[in-house]
Amino acid sequence: MNVMRIGKINLNQHIATSIEKFSQNGGEKVSNYVNAAGKAVIAPLVIMHNPFTKEDEDNRKWASIKQPVEAVITLAMQLVSLGLLYKGIDSLIKKGKINFKYVENASKDISKIPEKILKACNYDYEKALSMYKKQYNEIFKDRLGAIVTTITYLPVLAVSNKIYPKIAEKIVNKKKNENKSAQ
Amino acid sequence: MKINPLNKLAQSEMLNKHINKVIKDDMFGAKTLVALNVTKDVFAYAIRFKTTMQNEKIPEEKRPFVASMDLMSGVVTAIMQIGVGFSLAHHKIQDIIWDKFFKNCNFKDIVAAKKGFSQIMALIGSTILAERILVPLIATPFAEKFGKKFFPHKNKENINYSHFISIEEFNKDIKDYSK
Repeated sequence: MNVMRIGKINLNQHIATSIEKFSQNGGEKVSNYVNAAGKAVIAPLVIMHNPFTKEDEDNRKWASIKQPVEAVITLAMQLVSLGLLYKGIDSLIKKGKINFKYVENASKDISKIPEKILKACNYDYEKALSMYKKQYNEIFKDRLGAIVTTITYLPVLAVSNKIYPKIAEKIVNKKKNENKSAQ
Repeated sequence: MKINPLNKLAQSEMLNKHINKVIKDDMFGAKTLVALNVTKDVFAYAIRFKTTMQNEKIPEEKRPFVASMDLMSGVVTAIMQIGVGFSLAHHKIQDIIWDKFFKNCNFKDIVAAKKGFSQIMALIGSTILAERILVPLIATPFAEKFGKKFFPHKNKENINYSHFISIEEFNKDIKDYSK
């Protein structure tokens, strides 16, 4: 029983550490990872094995192949564009070219820092201000990142629409040929 | 003097209020993320539908179903993602799951971890459960019916879809149908 208990706690601690590491990536990146994983793995399975449709199998194959192809292209483009954006913003913040109004206020008056952060830092003013600033930067980058992600859909879909029919045709035709030769 | 537009944005009251609220309230942060995801998806599905209909590389007989799938997924996904994502972002549900699994765990930065957890939960609910499982299940039969309604073909051997490839023609058909 003790072994099971230790195992369970360890597993939860591993998940907790992963969540903590993952959350340091910022909401926008996390959102893109989850989105790509769902699109690449779950969506094709659901389209292919949907019991509520009588749609032709070939058509469903075409619709389901589109999902992972698009997910890979989307994630690659988003990682590159967000990487560049975040790097650029970090550099501007470091140079002092981007200053947040509420962070400036908080640096003059400790009471402006949210209680939640002060409590988490045991009311260590320097540490709390640094954490407040860090969270501010991350959310600011995320909001700009969301705009960039939306814009990247245009080139993503253009590239995906060119590549995916070729892949779909190859896979569907290959399977057809295999079935024919098996018969 | 050169004005930095990003700094101007960083000084705006509206953005500062928004960021401060996201920091103070994890649930608001998670809900904002879901709402942003839905906005991005609606935009992407609209573009996807338009480009699929105009994509001559997809065989004409496959195009209506693939495009209808995109359009129906866009409509259903927006509703489902908000419903499931917002429900999972609710603080009562979050607290139950957090206490059950991570109450005794060690964190370097518990504030960031809790925020990350609420975001991941809302995203898994809205993006994987709603968008990838529930939506295709609902959208596929809708797409099938929609495709047959707006892209009817009596003679399967002789199909001319070129009329529907133009988005303007398609819009006209929708207007005619709604009348």
